[in-house]
Amino acid sequence: MPEWLEVVIRSLLFVVVLFLITKWLGKKQLSELSFFEYVVGITIGSIGAEVITGLERNMFNGIIGIVVFAAIPFLAGLLSLKSKTFRDFIEGRATVFIKDGKIMEENLKKEKYTTDELLELLRKRDVFKVADVEFALLEPTGDLSVMLKKENQPLTPKDVNLTVASVKEPQTVIMDGEILDEPLSTIGRSRNWLKTELEKQGVTIENVFLGQVDSYGELTVDLFDDKLQVPSPQEKPLILSTMKKCQADLELFALGTEAKEAKQMYSKNSEKLQEAINKVTPILRG
Amino acid sequence: MTIASEVKKSLASLKGIEADLSSLALRTQDHESKRTLHETMMVVHEVVTDLKKRVGELEREEFQYKGF
Repeated sequence: MPEWLEVVIRSLLFVVVLFLITKWLGKKQLSELSFFEYVVGITIGSIGAEVITGLERNMFNGIIGIVVFAAIPFLAGLLSLKSKTFRDFIEGRATVFIKDGKIMEENLKKEKYTTDELLELLRKRDVFKVADVEFALLEPTGDLSVMLKKENQPLTPKDVNLTVASVKEPQTVIMDGEILDEPLSTIGRSRNWLKTELEKQGVTIENVFLGQVDSYGELTVDLFDDKLQVPSPQEKPLILSTMKKCQADLELFALGTEAKEAKQMYSKNSEKLQEAINKVTPILRG
Repeated sequence: MTIASEVKKSLASLKGIEADLSSLALRTQDHESKRTLHETMMVVHEVVTDLKKRVGELEREEFQYKGF
């Protein structure tokens, strides 16, 4: 067998072996969360490269080495699921860098981080001013987690007492002009429904690059032909504005009528409708 | 336009809203929103019932505009 052919065969074999092992170890290996995964990643890679090109070596010794190295983080993972002490030992603990808005110089020294590196990590989290930080922590993986002071945190609807409608995740029902049946049945819709919705918007299925249905059953599409304008869904704002109009009408009737009983009925109902509008606005506005 | 026909117009709009809210509630996946929409629909339904009664009274008063 010529040497080059052997290299090809070994390469193909090792691609398969490495693929299977990474699958087996799971996503954690890919993110290299802990010391073990980091070391194992490097070592397995080196063994693979050595054995593929070093033709004088036995290929199967290489595979054994890889399997052993893959087994160690697997076992360590199982053990660290059981014991917190073991987990702290293997994966390390987070180090507090900033507490109560003050930099912990001792901890910085312990982890051998310079002030410049701390500033760099903060900048990566979009923090340019140390005074904005309430609490920051160096994770075992080397990432910095930052909690800003309350006044520097982004404003949320809760902060301004705003009620917002809760939403579920949208489902992608059309991809590259083809209907995806599984997500469609997840939201309990049929192909016919989808075709009617597309007809309403005046587009053909072949022209749709991507179509999504939100939790209110509204279909939004992106077309292959970017020159075409797709109307944005108007149903919900339309309901809201009609409700408001009817409420105003009721108020007008209440003012206009002479009959006392009818006046009362109109104003009672206009109040009722106003309450309903207030309640439903967060949903219909979106 | 007389008042009776104005009221009738509003009544028709409200009926439309009721139907729209109902269909939106049926299509909504989120339970909280579904309930709110349904409750709103019920309120609109109450208003529709009251207005219907009023339309009946108005028709008696302005008999020449009786219809629908």
